[in-house]
Amino acid sequence: MRSLILVLLPFLAIFLQSTLFRAIPIQGVVPDLLLILVIFYAVFNGSSKGAMYGVACGLWEDLYLGRMIGVNAISKGITAFILGRMQGNVYQDNLMVGLIGVVTGTVINAMLLFIISMVAIPGLGLDRALLADLLFQGIYNIVIAIPLYMWYCRSSRAGVLREGQSG
Amino acid sequence: MGLFRIFRQKGFWILLLTALVLLAVVKLSADDSPGLNSAERWVRNSYAPLQRGTDWIQQGLGQLSTRMLGIQDMSQLLATEQAKNQQLGLEVMQLRESQAEVERLRRLLDYKNAQPNSYELEAARIIARASNNWYKTLTIDKGADFGLVLNMPVITPDGLVGKLVNVSKGTAQVMLLTDREMAVGAILQQTRENRGIVEGVGNGQLRMINIPYYSQVQGGEPVVTSGLSQIYPPGILIGTVRDVQKEANGLVLSAYVAPAVDFDRLEEVLIIKSFPAGPSPADQGV
Repeated sequence: MRSLILVLLPFLAIFLQSTLFRAIPIQGVVPDLLLILVIFYAVFNGSSKGAMYGVACGLWEDLYLGRMIGVNAISKGITAFILGRMQGNVYQDNLMVGLIGVVTGTVINAMLLFIISMVAIPGLGLDRALLADLLFQGIYNIVIAIPLYMWYCRSSRAGVLREGQSG
Repeated sequence: MGLFRIFRQKGFWILLLTALVLLAVVKLSADDSPGLNSAERWVRNSYAPLQRGTDWIQQGLGQLSTRMLGIQDMSQLLATEQAKNQQLGLEVMQLRESQAEVERLRRLLDYKNAQPNSYELEAARIIARASNNWYKTLTIDKGADFGLVLNMPVITPDGLVGKLVNVSKGTAQVMLLTDREMAVGAILQQTRENRGIVEGVGNGQLRMINIPYYSQVQGGEPVVTSGLSQIYPPGILIGTVRDVQKEANGLVLSAYVAPAVDFDRLEEVLIIKSFPAGPSPADQGV
């Protein structure tokens, strides 16, 4: 059951990002639900598992977008690996852990996306539009992360996402 | 010392290796590929029914809210004993949504009929938008089944929207003008400077570069496609010049361009399948 949920969540995240959240953007920006999911997974499961899940989710997104395959896989994998270091060092039930993870992860992921995209877009520069997108995405991600982290935390302790859950 | 501990982690080396392999894949897929591979097609098609369903639900909800508003208004009108006006008001409210849709479709049809000998057009409905903030794309409900191929220009009666970048069996992805990877050969309609390139800057705005320093370009001047890129037919409105700046080297000017199309409000688009001014995008194989 846990594995099935972990497979379905990225699918659902991309679907919601491309439809529902596109109807309610903040300054034209939508939250990155997939990134939030990857960050939460890494915080609860550590660097190695987090990185694997991040790469898998990112690759799925890349296949959906059909542009540069691997960009999101690398950025989400590395972001999860870095944030997975929090596991064992922080009290995961604290909401602030999730929110700090989301803010840090949003910045790291955006930086990595920018660096990797320079491979494909010659002359790409860090401009005001990019920074504004990052700011609004950070805000939107935090807003969405509050209820999501509470759910994720509860599910990981005693719900469908609990390790060893066979349902 | 804690930093070096990371090098002893097996996961770090696996991730590094994976990242290097993926970087090579990024580099390969960044070059113009002929289309979607089978994995991409499979993933894209798995979302298409859900996205079509959501679009249908959104339309239904729009009509429902219109009806609800109508009922609310009717009760107010009953209080003022304007029975005939109530009925008319309600009908108007119920019809407004569908009327707006009919208007939009009629404009598309008029535009299509006005160019029977110049463009072969295909109308399509937008069913989804980009799932992330980096790309500026739309997903439409028609694909290879309707003869759509890569690089076909996408327009509305207001102007240029973008071009097709991915085509699967039942859907296609439109890269908007505002996407950072977009570049269109453009001409200033009044001053006739034709070496400009309009590129997306990502925040809903466009920038025209490569305008000669001696150009008399001013704010408000229309910018249209030059046709030099051969993907887009010449003369399609891109937008209007908003602000002109001199580049640091002093040899060329650049201008911010307000797009002619409101990308946030698009619901239907037209795809140019062929145009007589040059070879069709399908013939070019790019």
